[in-house]
Amino acid sequence: MSARLRSLLLTLAAPVLAVVFAAIITSIVLSVSGHGPIETLSLMVDYGFQPRTISLTINSATTYFFAALAVAVAFRMNLFNIGVDGQYRLAAMLAAAVGGAVALPGPLHVLLIVVVAMLVGAAWAAIAGILKATRGVSEVISTIMLNFIATGIVAYLLNTDRLAVQVAGSNNIGTKHIPESGHMPGLSLIPGSGTQQVFGFVIIAILAGIAFQVLLNRTRFGFDLRATGQSESAAIASGVNVKRMVVISMVISGAVAGLVGMPQLLGASYSYGLDFPTGLGFTGIAIALLGRNHPVGIAIGALLFGFLDNSSNILQINEIPNEIVVIMQGVIVLSVVVAYELVRRYKLVAEQRRVSRELSAGGTGGPAPEGAAA
Amino acid sequence: MAVELDGITKRFPGVVANRDIHLHVRRGSVHAICGENGAGKSTLMKILYGMQRPDEGTIAVNGTKVSFGSPSDAIAVGIGMVHQHFMLADNLTVLENVVLGSEPRKGLSIDFAGARRKIKEISDAYGLGVDPDALIEDLGVGDRQRVEILKVLYRGARIIILDEPTAVLVPQEVDELFDNLRGLVREGLTVIFISHKLDEVLSVADEITVIRRGTTVQAGIDSKTVNARQLAELMVGSELPSPETRESTVTDQQALAVRDLTVRSSDGRPVVDNVSFTIHKGEVLGIAGVEGNGQAELVEAIMGMRPSTGTIALAGTDVTSLDTRRRREAGIGYVPEDRHRHGLLLEAPLWENRILGHQTRRPNSKGPWIDRAGARRDTERIVREYDVRTPGIDVAADALSGGNQQKLIVGREMSGEPVVLIASHPTRGVDVGAQAAIWDHLRAARAQGLAVLLISADLDELIGMSDTLKVILRGRLVADVDPATVTPESLGSAMTGAGEGA
Amino acid sequence: MRRDKVAKLGLALMTSALLTISAAACGGGSNDAKTGASEGAAKGGGGAKVGLAYDIGGRGDQSFNDAAARGLDKAKSELKVEGKELEASPGETDAQKEERLRLLAQGGYNPIIGIGFAYSAPMTKVAKEFPNVKFAIVDDAGAQAPNISNLTFAEHEGSFLVGAAAALKSKKNSVGFVGGVKVPLIAKFEAGFLAGAKHVKKDIKTSVQYLTNPPDMTGFNDPAKGQVAAKGMIDGGADVVYHAAGGSGGGVFKAAKEGNAMAIGVDSDQALTADAAVKDVIITSMVKRVDVAVFDFLKSFTDNTVQAGEKVYDLKAGGVDYSTTGGKVDEIKAQLDELKQKIISGEIKVSAKTGA
Repeated sequence: MSARLRSLLLTLAAPVLAVVFAAIITSIVLSVSGHGPIETLSLMVDYGFQPRTISLTINSATTYFFAALAVAVAFRMNLFNIGVDGQYRLAAMLAAAVGGAVALPGPLHVLLIVVVAMLVGAAWAAIAGILKATRGVSEVISTIMLNFIATGIVAYLLNTDRLAVQVAGSNNIGTKHIPESGHMPGLSLIPGSGTQQVFGFVIIAILAGIAFQVLLNRTRFGFDLRATGQSESAAIASGVNVKRMVVISMVISGAVAGLVGMPQLLGASYSYGLDFPTGLGFTGIAIALLGRNHPVGIAIGALLFGFLDNSSNILQINEIPNEIVVIMQGVIVLSVVVAYELVRRYKLVAEQRRVSRELSAGGTGGPAPEGAAA
Repeated sequence: MAVELDGITKRFPGVVANRDIHLHVRRGSVHAICGENGAGKSTLMKILYGMQRPDEGTIAVNGTKVSFGSPSDAIAVGIGMVHQHFMLADNLTVLENVVLGSEPRKGLSIDFAGARRKIKEISDAYGLGVDPDALIEDLGVGDRQRVEILKVLYRGARIIILDEPTAVLVPQEVDELFDNLRGLVREGLTVIFISHKLDEVLSVADEITVIRRGTTVQAGIDSKTVNARQLAELMVGSELPSPETRESTVTDQQALAVRDLTVRSSDGRPVVDNVSFTIHKGEVLGIAGVEGNGQAELVEAIMGMRPSTGTIALAGTDVTSLDTRRRREAGIGYVPEDRHRHGLLLEAPLWENRILGHQTRRPNSKGPWIDRAGARRDTERIVREYDVRTPGIDVAADALSGGNQQKLIVGREMSGEPVVLIASHPTRGVDVGAQAAIWDHLRAARAQGLAVLLISADLDELIGMSDTLKVILRGRLVADVDPATVTPESLGSAMTGAGEGA
Repeated sequence: MRRDKVAKLGLALMTSALLTISAAACGGGSNDAKTGASEGAAKGGGGAKVGLAYDIGGRGDQSFNDAAARGLDKAKSELKVEGKELEASPGETDAQKEERLRLLAQGGYNPIIGIGFAYSAPMTKVAKEFPNVKFAIVDDAGAQAPNISNLTFAEHEGSFLVGAAAALKSKKNSVGFVGGVKVPLIAKFEAGFLAGAKHVKKDIKTSVQYLTNPPDMTGFNDPAKGQVAAKGMIDGGADVVYHAAGGSGGGVFKAAKEGNAMAIGVDSDQALTADAAVKDVIITSMVKRVDVAVFDFLKSFTDNTVQAGEKVYDLKAGGVDYSTTGGKVDEIKAQLDELKQKIISGEIKVSAKTGA
């Protein structure tokens, strides 16, 4: 057990190291630009722990969580789904259009919108999966291209001649407003946060995280997926149909990507307009790296990013450039990637030593320093 | 003396990998370092090559005391190392690979002409016969090894360390390598040769140092004064295992019937050409052949990992149309040739590796769910029954030695009562202890009625284990050999096609 | 091996992202330094504390955020107000815009101006919470509350005039329009321009091209795309090209210069502000006086005469106009002014929609 504890501590060491390193870099940047690092941080923390801000942070994190989870599903299989961005935008837009066009009783309406979004996301991602399985096209390339195509399709459809309507009196256009029955009620989770409720979708996010973990670790499918991710050749030899796995995992990744836009769509904007947030898929990649493709890690990473994002306003009010937030996020992700690799190597060597130590201590008469010599 | 290591001790936390090692290598000689896997040979060589620093002891090269901080220090005094696993870029030419990392400059551009000339010179001087403009991916294993040696010579090495160089070679290539080594020594170079294959050591080395459990058992033995048995006893400190099977257990029930199996390469050439054979329950069918004659493709076709034509029947049932998983479920066990690539998830714990290849079967899964408890319990069983030396089943497969990894794989593939076991080089790169254990398990399973398809480059293993022995050459089964009467030498010549006409 | 590949790829992506980010941050940093300096100078005036919430890009975007900033700067020096400027981040949601406005209101800033229609919904919400704070929003009439002033522009009217100018100046009887991003706002420019051109020459040939489609907003900041689009039009026979493409306009001017054609600027008098090498191709600009709107609003605030609801900055109000710098439209000025009067008097009705 102590070995397991050690391994757990080591696993935690990487992100902690990375955050500390990022804090140092940020402090340097702040000092150079003439702002006190401590003051800045306490400003961010003070603001960040106000009830309203906590709500906002959770809401941002909910969205990020889905984006990172979608990336992580593919990552676990060594697939790089850069297309989460296009998948969620296309999914959110079409789901919003469907949601605005029908009238159904409450839960059914929400369910319909969510299902449409997941189907669209899955179908869009499946294209990349099928291209890879049948033609060997790198999913990195195809998903980047599919992002562009998704942008084009959204632009084409989000037009007042087609799916969009002009928002009265505004220069914005969007899909038809989803009626009340299709709204996901918010939760007053944080006492004192006033009108700023937490997205009801946060519950779905938690469920999705649990489902992710169960699927990967407790099912045969999850085993096959992880095996393929760790060693494609070994997976093939073990009887995994890798091509089919590629398509299926892209479909799952895309379905989760379809959920990315849902908290915002069903909890706040109720319409897909020009001001619908973009680029979440890329933030998702960063958070998936940060969270090491593990739901708990992703949740923490998403909260951290949400916290940093929401502190941009308070920084500006206090004359601190809000770009510091982006610098921090970038440095954290970069240092996490490096720190994880270092810790991974260290862990491997440490484990090999531990094995040889325990074997030689056991004195079973076998050749002594097997691992150490290897 | 080219190299003098004295009193070398290297501790890893909790472990002494090397303890008071003494190694004296004469200039212009082939010096073999012998020992079981895990005896500490590799650590010693890493110290000599500057990859690790000794905690105690001294290193002297050509009489001068040295201290290495990194391999570049070692290279600077003329030490070069040829690793067991080649470090060559497949899509580059020999020339490009050789200059990679030490590109000769001519102004701003790379002086390829000069490098080509130098490579030619070296190749001719030592009889390596390497074409500087050949693509690495087109070269065979032996040629690649010569490129590695050339790379080291190109960087000015006068003392060359070869780490298990014969592990990947067939007998004829081994002979060629040894000729090359003798050529190097004739030119005044010094070769340090690491191996646990005693025949090879005896045939090529001038002097031998034996290492066991991290320390020198005997240093600088003259190779003319010992025989293989004595050396082996020095190495393991106990009596030697032998691969011989006792009485025949062959039955008349067909376990695996392969008919007209043909596998084509991507350019349409048959790499397995119309192969048919039958293995009965309780029979070990050995396939002998120089590596690259279709063995790997044959195995992968039987496993359903590679498209093929022809039919494959398992215990009377046609499995030709089944995919790999279904074939495994129908009762094919598979010990792959490359356990790191095909047999293990190196970063996953042992109990997850127990599941690999048996995902759909008890005790690893129930319906769509993984049965963790069942898998863990059964992993404990394999660890116990197959003597896998590990502190527990939660360690990553990577942390085990090759022999223990292989025992785990054999244990896994024997579970679930397979009808047929396909064993590709089952004891390659494992130590003598593990080798004996694996042989024992194969024999025991055979007595229980298991059919085994054995592919190996170890001719003693093939002859000793097989009930029936076939020779594969250019994708075709060209000869049947009686393992009871054949010698390694005659088998070797059959493998090269020398006996084809006869 | 694959794992390494993914890690490396990820690292490469992140590195490039970081480089982009830090480049952006450098730019942003210097802007902020400027902001700080100008604010320091304004302090001591002791007037109102103005909160200005920009859209993405903020001060220094060479476009309408900048125009708003000019209005604020003018107010700082003439009305002795203080200013606090916040800008939006890419990919943010309404909730964050809302929070921005709320922070300003809580911080005692009054009045608060939101630049761009994206602030519509957030401002509607926040204005309710702070009934005593005056809000204004540029380019949006949707946000309605007793304490919101909507500052909108009749871009189509101004565009009508430059459309007429283009048609009159064209020797090949062919003119072109380059839009930055195909959003409704830019469609107003297009509609007015085409209507103006057709009004003076019924048979004139027109070509229209947008650089990008939303949500890809790079069309407002991609001179290379602007240049290619304009070059295509000029090669196709157009000899006057009007752009409503923000920062991409520089490319349009370049293409006009190389193709011996004429160009029409937008938003500000670009014959003054554009790169010296291409200034001479700009015959006129459709000026959209966001600065005037912002300044007017602030002035009304200090005078205590703020009116809620929509205030349209049209030709009549001087919110849009055509510019005459360089004297290239002097010979047709009379005709243009006549058209201008007809629009002001209502004799000519300019539609904000294309095809009408």
